[in-house]
Amino acid sequence: MTKARRRRLASLTRYAVLSVWAAIVFFPIYWMISTSFKPDTQWFAWPPVYIPDPPTFSNYMNVWFGVQEYAETQYIQSLQKPLIALRNSIIISCSATFLAVAFGAVIAYGVSRYRILSEARMFQLLMLRMIPPIVFVAPLSLYYSAIGLLDSIIGLVLIYFLTSLPYAVWMTKSFIDEVPREIEQAAEILGASRWRTIFEVVLPLIRSGLVATFLFILILTWSEYLLAFIIGKTEAVTLPVELSKYQGTSEGRVYGRQAALAVGITVPLMIVGILIRKHLVRGFSFGMVRR
Amino acid sequence: MTAHAEVSVGLHFSPREASRARAISRFRWTILGPLIALFALVLLPVLFLQLYFSFHQWSVYLGSWWEADYVGVELFREVLTDDRFGWAIVRSLMFSAASTVGCFLLGFALAYLMHKPFAGQSFFYVIFILPMLTVPIVVAYTAEMLLYQSGPVNDIISRLSGTQFKVAWLTDADIALAAVTLLEIWNWTPFSFIIMLAGLSSIPREPIEAAQILGASRWRVFIEVQLPLLRPVIFLALVLRFLEAMAEFPKTWALFQGGPGTATETIPVYIFLTTWQYFQVSKGAALSYAAMMLMIVIVLLAIRLLRREKRALDIMYAAPEGTR
Repeated sequence: MTKARRRRLASLTRYAVLSVWAAIVFFPIYWMISTSFKPDTQWFAWPPVYIPDPPTFSNYMNVWFGVQEYAETQYIQSLQKPLIALRNSIIISCSATFLAVAFGAVIAYGVSRYRILSEARMFQLLMLRMIPPIVFVAPLSLYYSAIGLLDSIIGLVLIYFLTSLPYAVWMTKSFIDEVPREIEQAAEILGASRWRTIFEVVLPLIRSGLVATFLFILILTWSEYLLAFIIGKTEAVTLPVELSKYQGTSEGRVYGRQAALAVGITVPLMIVGILIRKHLVRGFSFGMVRR
Repeated sequence: MTAHAEVSVGLHFSPREASRARAISRFRWTILGPLIALFALVLLPVLFLQLYFSFHQWSVYLGSWWEADYVGVELFREVLTDDRFGWAIVRSLMFSAASTVGCFLLGFALAYLMHKPFAGQSFFYVIFILPMLTVPIVVAYTAEMLLYQSGPVNDIISRLSGTQFKVAWLTDADIALAAVTLLEIWNWTPFSFIIMLAGLSSIPREPIEAAQILGASRWRVFIEVQLPLLRPVIFLALVLRFLEAMAEFPKTWALFQGGPGTATETIPVYIFLTTWQYFQVSKGAALSYAAMMLMIVIVLLAIRLLRREKRALDIMYAAPEGTR
């Protein structure tokens, strides 16, 4: 074989392998989306229905807006309240994430410039994230019920804030480390206080990094399940917990409804994730690996 | 490093520098003070309660928890001789090890295929990161829609292979754990993929080019040059993924609740069942305590590894931009 032909063959093999994996990755996502548009007779049909025929919005109308008039078979109507869960999810994940990034950035500045935490302490901070929540969620829920935070938005915000702090500190630190110190020194010589230097010089310089950190932690808090499930039982219900309520329904699984809710939870997350795709690796590796 | 030097400047006796050191110390406690207070308010009572329940027999039927009977180490003896807990640990370790290795091999292979520019690179990148941008509980429910016995996955495999493929993914005790492992691999291969891709594109180019000029085959370049250079990234991908897999709960729970039988009862699922299905809060606390000790040992080992590898990574990123 000539060199050129070998190269073309290698390139074709690469496209073939990547396409196979792309199909494996995409099929479940496609199935979720397509099921959300299927009328209820096609949810369990044999052979499986791959393309909704005819596509219908009834699942979305029913799940998100409580419209009752669309079922053709015995499947009951959903009586969930996803809009309340949506509101809770937005409030809880946005405020916990904001707190984590705000605190995290200031701590990270202190660590980067003045070593207010030693390297060993920084790694100990990671334990907050690495110890699985299941080992403390039971005592936490008892403690919360004693101080009146069980089933409250504040309780969830507090625990999400604490568990996402390691990501916030490490990720923002990796951005601050890349800012040359000369700029702050200039600000200091001009007489700016340390806090003014932080808020008016350093943080604006890593603006895009802060946005990436915020969105990255938003992904984690938005999709968290265990803590939300134990702590937010009836009032502070978040979207993943709302979705899991379908598990208990005894009248057969309402796949189409479930899928319509799942699409609503997932698609915003995917958009956010694709927007910060270049920073994902920094986030997941606590800023240790960059692109 | 220079920052550290600045802090210790206070040891010299120039008044100006001493006042600067005081200012830094004040700055430090303004930041860390509230945080330490918050930890003390939230984490200490939680740890205390966990210990309390591990030594006092209490369940939700027994009245006020602060009047529970002191039973000494009885609960710990029960936990340590509990076969079900032992098996849960074994299952968790098997699940985490298998899914970590699976994610890593797949992610590394994909990253290797994609680390040099080619047409469609960013398209594939966007597709490949999608699974980790789905909510775990959504993955579980979608898997249920896909894997039931006359569902689309069995249908597609039947059509492609021309045989009657009817695996009971969700009800066969022998393959349930494998099914969750496969799901975990689907869900988190993107994690290993992005880390290995970043690693492959930031290792220095010169050693690779030098080896190629010397006539090394692609395989030898990979084994003898690229792999050693990638070591820190590889460790990172394996360690972080393993720790996350040890904590996996939503998919295992939503799909199987530990069943069929006890086939998918991992550590988190067993603790959850004991505490919230059998309402044995005290036993659950003792289980949590034992699991926490186990995880602390694993995490401390992981942190040791990460500290070593992070130093290697920092040196790599400190190298001038043009060389990598």
